[in-house]
Parts: sequence; structure tokens; C-alpha cells
Amino acid sequence: MQEILRMEHITKRFGDMYANRDINFEVRRGEVHTLLGENGAGKSTLMNVLFGLYQPTEGSIYLNGNKVKIDSPAQAVKLGIGMVHQHFMLVEAMTVFENIILGDRNTKGVFIDRDARRKEILELSQQYGLDVEMDKPITEIAVGAQQRVEILKALYKGAELLVLDEPTAALTDIEVEGLFQIIKKLTAEGKSVIFISHKMREVLHISDRITILRAGESVCTLNREETTGEDLANLMIGRELVPSQYKKIEDAGDAVIKLTDVDYCKESKHNGLNGVSLSVGRGEIVGIAGVDGNGQSQLAQVVTGVITPDSGEVDMKGSRVAKFTPNGFIIEKVSHIPEDRNKMGLIGSMSVMDNIVLKTTELPEFSSGNGLYLKKKAIKEYAEQMQKKYDIRCASIEQETRNLSGGNQQKVILARELESDPDLLVAVHPTRGLDIGAARFVHDTMIAARDNGCGVLLISADFDEILEVSDRIIVMFEGEIMGEYSGKNPPINEISLAMAGK
Amino acid sequence: MKNTSKIVNVMVPLVSVLLAFIIGCIIIAALGANPITALQALWKGAFGSVRNFGTTLSRATPLIFTGLCACFAYRCGVFNLGGEGQFIMGAVVCTVIGTQFNIEGLPAIILCLVAGTIAGGIWAMIPGVLKVYRGQNEMIISIMLNYVATLFMGVLFTDWMRDGSVPQTVAIPDASRLTRLFGLRATTAFVIAVVVGLAVYYFLFFTSKGFQLRAVGYNMTAAEFNGFAVKKYFLASFLVSGMIAGLGGSADILGTQFFLINGYASGYGFDGVSMALIGQLHPLATMLVAIFFAALRVGSTTMQAATGVPTSVSDIIQALVIVFTVAGLAMVKLPEFKALLNRIFSRKEVA
Repeated sequence: MQEILRMEHITKRFGDMYANRDINFEVRRGEVHTLLGENGAGKSTLMNVLFGLYQPTEGSIYLNGNKVKIDSPAQAVKLGIGMVHQHFMLVEAMTVFENIILGDRNTKGVFIDRDARRKEILELSQQYGLDVEMDKPITEIAVGAQQRVEILKALYKGAELLVLDEPTAALTDIEVEGLFQIIKKLTAEGKSVIFISHKMREVLHISDRITILRAGESVCTLNREETTGEDLANLMIGRELVPSQYKKIEDAGDAVIKLTDVDYCKESKHNGLNGVSLSVGRGEIVGIAGVDGNGQSQLAQVVTGVITPDSGEVDMKGSRVAKFTPNGFIIEKVSHIPEDRNKMGLIGSMSVMDNIVLKTTELPEFSSGNGLYLKKKAIKEYAEQMQKKYDIRCASIEQETRNLSGGNQQKVILARELESDPDLLVAVHPTRGLDIGAARFVHDTMIAARDNGCGVLLISADFDEILEVSDRIIVMFEGEIMGEYSGKNPPINEISLAMAGK
Repeated sequence: MKNTSKIVNVMVPLVSVLLAFIIGCIIIAALGANPITALQALWKGAFGSVRNFGTTLSRATPLIFTGLCACFAYRCGVFNLGGEGQFIMGAVVCTVIGTQFNIEGLPAIILCLVAGTIAGGIWAMIPGVLKVYRGQNEMIISIMLNYVATLFMGVLFTDWMRDGSVPQTVAIPDASRLTRLFGLRATTAFVIAVVVGLAVYYFLFFTSKGFQLRAVGYNMTAAEFNGFAVKKYFLASFLVSGMIAGLGGSADILGTQFFLINGYASGYGFDGVSMALIGQLHPLATMLVAIFFAALRVGSTTMQAATGVPTSVSDIIQALVIVFTVAGLAMVKLPEFKALLNRIFSRKEVA
């Protein structure tokens, strides 16, 4: 088969971090080539380089054998590359037809020759079986149909090579089947498809070849026939057990929180919980492993009182929780390091000092008369103490937190959440986006909290992090618990298969 | 960095005022008058004598109330645009009690002020409750309720409480009116306004609840995750901001207006929103801005009499101040502007 795209020695560096390192990747005409990897493995970066959103630090791209420089998405479209993003880029108030012709550069003059355009689009849609209702506004059609509009849009603009970024994430099973039919038709007509996914079953079903990325590097490229799901999972997670530098605890204390058969929007595979039962004891770290978007956010929000489960029971230190409010859980000494520190954790327009005492201004140390008069001097002294203790690097404690680096923002949250001496700490992606030093600090702090008798529920998509600090590992997939493993000598292969839903 | 942002916050309104006056001067010159004499007349009209200053403060009083009303709600992140309706409802209830209940003197004053405050609060709770429990847009509902309040007031002065043949209500009896300060046009209503402004300032910046209310206003989601009952804060901020406006309406009736009439309070609500925005949602700054706007309005009559420059020039200047401030605040948020500031400041450090 003839080669359509070759990316040679692609390296993309952001500061000191390599998002892609010396990746070679090649696509042939009429094939489905899958990019497989965990979150943060570099799939999206590589595709953004291809689509002209990023410039590679090193390396070159060849299309049909000619070296090309792609410096904008418009250029990529011109070269015949079409991209369907995970989150669709459609104008919701416009009709399907208007969305497809939007930004069409073939239109000459001021007016659009609607009839001619419509005819072209209809021909295309029949050719590939992309059945869409042309005059319905986007808001009125289903997610699967919206995706067909995106594909049609790309084809209409002359795409020979289609990039589908996690195309099945939002689809129902039937819609996925329909998408696969379309992909088969596309390749039969000589188009090529780059399929990005981490769902093993789908990858094995649709791909001709599979390239596995791990930590920004390309591991290998395999033909579908010569591989199995197990191989792929191992290659994707791909690591030998590195002994953790932390001592693992095997006998935890009484359960701080216990969930029994908790359901929350259980029909939703990616944003729900389905019969979840687990417990976190005093003085242990329970790590929830799993690919992002398998119910972890919802789990975190249930155990911090932000959302109320549809059914099932939650026991806090032995007594049943009747009412789910964040404040009720805070009173029960639950601390939360939320997944999105800017949106959920910090008041960005307020100072470091204000954020540190956010929950505690009513304490007698910080105000007299139950909050009637803030003791600003005491607050300031305390905040300065915390700044030293947690090594928060800021120009002054009166600096707005939104101007801090991610690591320092996280330290502000740690200072607030851990100084209250919690019984349960819920940490969601606590080191996401942090450099190694800051991440190490966060881990040390969590271990110290554990050794103080605090139960820690760590939710992370970073498998290394889970292995490093967890005393017990629980794997979640599509809202369900797939298995529970000891944090001491964890069976990596088994865990990685469970993460892929097997 | 923190200091520069504070300086920028103060500079934006000041530069806006300066620019607005420069353009105002060009217009005055184009009208054939001498800008310097015109502005001198404007100044004299507003601050030239104790009497004139009293008039300015009297004009500023209702604006301070509606400005504080907007300021309080916006600090909590809710957009109460119904200050005018709440102000009018306060005025209406005050007029009814003050003229129909056969009471006079201090008891009447206290009752009128309290009832007016409550009326304003209730009027503001309508959009508040609809927002919190039904997810309705508070801006639209509070604006619409302004019209309802205005028309309701219309029923009173044209029909139910009409004073003989004139389309206005009977006036508040002399004994129930607020005392003038040193015989000037300004009354104790101004004192009440200042006290309310100081109280709002103290509450927002020196109490725990005020601190939490600001946190809710800045980032509702984080506030919720940190255990604040966001809905309660929304409702409370509607209630209090409505009460401030209602108190303003009743104090204005007892102090300077005395009866309801067509066109009363028209524009106070949105004036208040402008004051609060130019004052960067700081209660003390909002009060100063209100006095400044009142001065422009009071002084413009003297300017017209002395130089023939129409009062509408003053309206143009007021509008320009609003436009420049809003545009300026948007501009300083641009990354390009921040980069420019950084470059200027780092250059100074090198030097």
C-alpha cells in the first residue's frame, strides 16, 4: 500500500517537558491506523502538530512523499487533513448545511450558491453513507449525527486523511457500530483514518495497524493480526514494577468512609457510578486507578458531599450519611483536593492569604464574635507561617492565587486542607500538571497525613502515582469497580487489564 | 505585582474622567464657548458655595443608595438590575404609610424607613427566588420588575392616592420630613446613605460572612466545594441589596421628594449600576463616584446659565466617563496590556 503521511523524528518540547520525543509515525492509503496510549502519552500533541496547531521542536512531516510545513489548521485542511475533535467544533444555532459550508473558500463572490453546494454535499453523504438531516439545527440532532456532520465537513473540504480523536467517547454502542461502518466505507474509497483511542475492544476491531505511545515516545507499531488485548495493555502501561520509596501499610484502622452499592446516573458509562462499594480506613492510602472519565470525578464528589448518590449507602466513621452537602462533610473533617484547582479549589481573584483561611475565618483565632470582626493581623501571621511550612513561592501572601504556578497553587490548597487535621483526605489528580519537585512534595505530604492517621482516597489517572503511594489499589472502569489489589507488590498486568475493562 | 494592579484599578476611572473632560472641552469649544470658563461655572455650580455643595449632596443621596444596592449584589456575583424598582417600591410604601396612616413625627419616620426597607427587600427577593430555585435569569426579571414598580406607582398618583386634580400623591406632612443639615438642601437622608455605605464596607471587608460572600461572587464553584451554601448567599445578597434600595427610596421621599409623581426615580437604577462599576464595586469609591456624578448634574445648570453651554454637554461627559471606564477595565485585562506593564516595571528595576 502507498504511503500517504510520514512523520519523522517528531519532538515537541514545552519548556523542559517533552510531550513528544523522536516519534516516527506513518499512515498508508486506505488504512485505519490507531494511536493508542494513556492520557498524557502524547497522542493529542502529535495530532496537534499534524494539524498545525503546534510547531514541532524537531522533525519533519511528509505528505505523499513531499516534505510539508504545516503552520496552521487552515494549511492542514488545504493539504487534505481533516480532524474531528473529541469535542465537536460546530455552531449549535446553525443548521447542518450551514455548518458544513462554513468557512468554505471555494465560494466566489458575495453570495453562496446554495443549490450547487447542497448537491455536492448530498453526493458525498450518499457516497459514504453519512446520513444527516441537512436543514436541522445542530442542537436538534443526536451526538452521533453531530459526529457525522463533522466527518462530512472534513470530507467536503477535501480531506484525504481523517483524524478521529476519541470518536467513541460520547457515543452509544449502536452509534459506535454506525461509525465503524462509515470508517470502513471511507477506507474502501481510499481515504485514510487515524483513530485515537484507549479502548482496547474498539481498537482491535477497527484498526489495520496500531502504534502505541507511552510517555511521549513511540513504543512500537503492530499489525492487528499479530497482537492481543493483553499485549497492547502491557505495552501501553508498559512498566516493570519499580519499588516504591514509601513504606506500604497493610493493616489499616477503622473505616473512615464506607460506600455500599452506590449508584449515580448509572446509565452513563463515563460520568456515573454503578454499584460502587469501597471503604477507606484510617492511616491508609486507597488509590483509584483507571483511565480518566470512568466515574472517578463522580466518586470524588460523592465522598465530599458535592453530589447526592441516586441509591446506596455512605457511612462516615460508622454513622450513615443522610444529607449530602459539602459543608456537612467538611464538619466531619473531610478535606478535598479537587480535580480542577482553579475552578473548584481556589478563589483566583483572592490572595494566597485569603485562600489559606477560606474555610476557617469564623474560628476564634481569626475573628472575634463568630466572624463579626476579622483579625487581619492574626490571619496574616498564620498565612506567613503556612507559606514557610508548605514552601509556597509567591511574591507576597497578598498576591492573587491565579498568578501563581500550578505547583504553588496546589500547595496553597494543601495548606488549607491538611492543616485542619482531616480524618479523610480526598485527592483527585493531585499532581496533574506539576513538575517533579512539586509532585514529590505533594506525595510526601499525603504520606505524612496517612502516618498521622488520616484516611486518604487518591484518585489519579497517573498509574505511576497510584503505584507509588497507594497501600491498596482499586480499579474503576465505566463506573464500576473492576478489582481490588494490594499496594505491596501489585500485579501490574492484571491491573492494566482491569483498567482496559477486562 | 499586587501594587501595580491596585494602581491600575484606581488609574482607570481617573484617566477615564480626564479623557471625558478633554472631549467635553472640545465639544464646548466647538459650541463657541470657552471651555475653561464653562468648567469653572460647572465647578462653582456644584461646589462653589456651601449651599451649592448641599444641593450636590442632596442629588447624590439616591444615587449612593442605588449604587450601593448594585455594589452589594455584584460582589456576590448576582446581577441585580432592579435597583430602580426596589427604590420605587420603598418610596411607594413610605408614601402610603406617611400620608395615609395618620401618624406624624419621629415614629412615622422610623416606621416609614423600616417599611420601605422591607418593601425593597421583598421586591428584590422575587428575582432572587426565581434565580435560585427556578434557574431564571435574574437580570431580565429584575429589569422587568422595574417597569412593574414604575407602573404600580403610576396607579397611586393617578388614581388611588391622587391629590385633587394634580396627577401626584398627597405630600408627606411637614412633621414627618427628615431634617435638613445646617439648613441646606441635603438632609439626614445623606447621613443615612453614608452610614449604610460604611456598614457595607465593614461587612464586605471586615467580617467573615462578607469575606465568604465575596468568595462566592468570585468563584461560585470553588465556594461550593469549600462548603459555602451558595444559594443562601445569593438570596441574602438579593435581599440586602433590595433593602438598601428600598431604604433609599423611603429616605428620598421623606427627605426631598415628599410625594410620588410621574417620572420619579427614573434612571436611578442604571445610574446606580454605573456608579458601582466605575467605583470598581468598592462601596466607598461608589459613594464618591455618586457625588461626582451629582456634581456634574447640579453644576451643569449653572454652566448653562453662565456660558450658554447646554446641560446636555454634562450628560455627554457622564456617559463618556462610563464608556471609558468600562472599556478601560476591559483593556487592562488584556494580556498585551499586562505584558506592557511588566516591561515598563522591569525596565525601571534595571535602571
